Amino acid sequence: MSDDKKNDEVLLLDHDYDGIKEYDNPLPRWWLFTFYITIVFAPIYVYYYHFGPGLSLSEELDQNLVKIEAQENLTQEQTKKLSEADLLALINDKQVINEGRALYNKNCLACHGAFGEGLIGPNLTDNYWVHGDGSLKSVLLVISTGVIDKGMPEWGKILSPKDLQNTTVFVRSLLGTNPKNAKTHEGTLIE
Amino acid sequence: METKQTYNDKIVKAFLLATIGWAFVALLLGVIIAYQMAYWQANFDLEWLTFGRLRPLHTNAAIFAFAGNIVFAGIYHSTQRLLKARLFSDVLSKVHFWGWQLMILLAAVTLPLGFSTGKEYAELEWPLDILIAVVWVVFAINFFGTIAIRRVKHLYVAIWFYIATVLTVAILHIVNSIALPVSLLKSYPVYAGIQDALVQWWYGHNAVAFFLTTPFLGLMYYYLPKSVGRPIYSYRLSIIHFWALVFIYIWAGPHHLLYTALPNWLQTLGMVFSLMLWAPSWGGMINGLLTLRGAWDKLRTSPIVKFYVAALTFYGMTTFEGPLLSIKSVSALGHYTDWIVAHVHAGTLGWNGFMAFGVIYYLVPKIWKTKLYSDKLATLHFWTGIFGILIYYISMWAAGITQGLMWRAVDGNGQLVYPDFVETVTKIVPLYQVRAFAGLIYLIGFLFLVYNIYKTIKSAPSDQPEEVFSAPVIKNKKGIEFIPKSHRHFEGLATSFTILVLISVLVGSIIEIMPVLSLDSYVSEGKKVKTFTPLELAGRDIYIKEGCYVCHSQMIRKLATDVQRFGPASTIEESMYNRPFQWGSKRTGPDLARIGKKYPDAWHYKHMINPRSVVQQSLMPNYPWLADKKTDLYILRKKLSVMKNLGVPYTKEEVANADILAEKQARQIAERLIISGGVNASVEDLTRKEIVALIAYLQALGQKAINPEGEL
Repeated sequence: MSDDKKNDEVLLLDHDYDGIKEYDNPLPRWWLFTFYITIVFAPIYVYYYHFGPGLSLSEELDQNLVKIEAQENLTQEQTKKLSEADLLALINDKQVINEGRALYNKNCLACHGAFGEGLIGPNLTDNYWVHGDGSLKSVLLVISTGVIDKGMPEWGKILSPKDLQNTTVFVRSLLGTNPKNAKTHEGTLIE
Repeated sequence: METKQTYNDKIVKAFLLATIGWAFVALLLGVIIAYQMAYWQANFDLEWLTFGRLRPLHTNAAIFAFAGNIVFAGIYHSTQRLLKARLFSDVLSKVHFWGWQLMILLAAVTLPLGFSTGKEYAELEWPLDILIAVVWVVFAINFFGTIAIRRVKHLYVAIWFYIATVLTVAILHIVNSIALPVSLLKSYPVYAGIQDALVQWWYGHNAVAFFLTTPFLGLMYYYLPKSVGRPIYSYRLSIIHFWALVFIYIWAGPHHLLYTALPNWLQTLGMVFSLMLWAPSWGGMINGLLTLRGAWDKLRTSPIVKFYVAALTFYGMTTFEGPLLSIKSVSALGHYTDWIVAHVHAGTLGWNGFMAFGVIYYLVPKIWKTKLYSDKLATLHFWTGIFGILIYYISMWAAGITQGLMWRAVDGNGQLVYPDFVETVTKIVPLYQVRAFAGLIYLIGFLFLVYNIYKTIKSAPSDQPEEVFSAPVIKNKKGIEFIPKSHRHFEGLATSFTILVLISVLVGSIIEIMPVLSLDSYVSEGKKVKTFTPLELAGRDIYIKEGCYVCHSQMIRKLATDVQRFGPASTIEESMYNRPFQWGSKRTGPDLARIGKKYPDAWHYKHMINPRSVVQQSLMPNYPWLADKKTDLYILRKKLSVMKNLGVPYTKEEVANADILAEKQARQIAERLIISGGVNASVEDLTRKEIVALIAYLQALGQKAINPEGEL
């Protein structure tokens, strides 16, 4: 408040509205300066982003998506590298199964049931396969790439390779458990 | 010759009492829905108590009932005194009062019943829109009539702000509400997709500007100097910040649509004009606070001054935060989160609420010719209110930024750290509990006011004669002190002044809205989408009725993490037949723009009946009645024909057979639900249920590309 108080009485205008009077103090300089800056900023910004080198929102998005896609591809490569033998080596690993169970409960239970008995999605405990050939690797790939037409999400975009692997191992552990209210067999029988 | 006249204060009293009554309703509704966010059970599975239906009622009550009534009270009281004239017409005043209360009452009935246009802050259906327009015109005649018969040459700055309010709100309301009726309580807007988005946010943002800002600045310019007995700090500042506000505000609407499918040039205009608004907004705060120079001691002694000073401070905070949030990169983080909720409540609870309370504490004793029952209680109200707002603000600020950061967190694999949307919600539920409590505190503070005012009015003398004043004579109507080209001269010319205000608000409106009115120039032929089937349209209207848009967006922004989470960015074409658009402004639940075909029908069925059966930690209410209530299929012919008249390319056959087509599609869904989804019902029965139509709509979202291999 740098304003000079002595000047007040000089600055008092002869305005009177129902007893309200008005001073004619000058505009605070810092305030005016702020206003000018925002006004000057506008054409500069417009020029830079609409006529100059600035990227449009779509261009910026495309650039970012390219980077993300490259990373995603790397991740998917990692998943694909997992072999049947790698997965088989884990089927008795308690830690892996427990982590897989937690992931299953969070992501899969809603459609495949609490015990893999099948609900909206197919039964995971029988030897009938709608997708894949019953190998661990094929289960991994179905989880990873999803079955979009049937409402199975592409989990490879959401879960890390390790999480996909653990979920796969847990799903295998459900095989042959014969839960209650199991959904009827779907797909082909593969022994 | 000087004449003796009286002021019409009866109408001021009526509006004051209405303010207090509706404020209670608005605040109570706010607390109820805040608890529903914290505890989803808090609607008791009653459809008319769900968040989706009560939230529009809360916002409408807060804006139009609470703020509206105090604005009318203040304008009617101060205008008469500033112009030294009794209100133009006692009859019009009464019509205005009762018409407005009737409108609010009808809103309070229709919104919980689900009669909603689905347009934010303008949810009322067309008959009520007409009622609002008529009442507003009555108000305008009464107000401008009073200006015409004034006995003071020059218009004071408060009156300038009132003029801007009366004019602009009329324009905003009428332009935004244009629609074709389908039935008594259902209509489709003439705007579609980005047009509707732009018009609605031009309206929505300027409702904040011209319903919650300019009239309150007007009130501040009268009641603050009146309460402290000091001259206004700077006449010059009031001129500059008034014209700057009126001219610039109208451009800023698109800042609600940053990174969306709205054309880039509009987003840029919205952003740069929002930044330019910062200083003009602060001009009002500075002029108010500096008026207190030499009277700061009153801040200690007078609860009224406390309310004003806090209100101006909150005004300053929000009008700094507003431009900040309008910067594209800040909006990218804050948009759709509770940060926005924090921001608007600092404005409404702090600025509007506290200004209103200050005016009530000043005006009630004055106008009832008595003294305030208790200054101490008013001071207690002040501190309770401050406490409530601060907890509210801080909790929602934390919630918004936390969630915004979680949405964009990406790990080294390039994957989202929190791919599960519900995780980001569960995290902030404790803050929702804190917020609900904060709202309760604010409401309790308000109850102190109710009691205080009740005791004050009770203590008033029973004889309440109207206040007499002497109306001076204006000697020369054409201008007593003609100073060419000066603003002062202009302040004496009410008509020219009004016309210039009108031009100021029209410039930005026309430049932004006109180009978009030809939607075709923004739609590329190759990306056009299919129209909704009749059943999907029926489902869409259920989506609107239940207010799904208050928690779900349908707009995947041009942001990498939005795309990763929800799919390719939304396009202009995808909402070209959406009347109204449903992009939403808040994501309490996930975006739904591409929800179609993501889950099987049965998933949606289970999710609607009880969301927690498929998403364990969901906050969404149950919607069991959707499986009981029947969809009105017969009206679909009318709906399609209205849509066709609005330019949606339905064929004659589709219109004529709308109900049959809908029934056929519904039957297929019902069969799927029963056979593979395990739903226990007969096909005949299930076919007609609302839930089936809603599922049809949800499954169509993001699935309407004519050429799915194309860019979409």
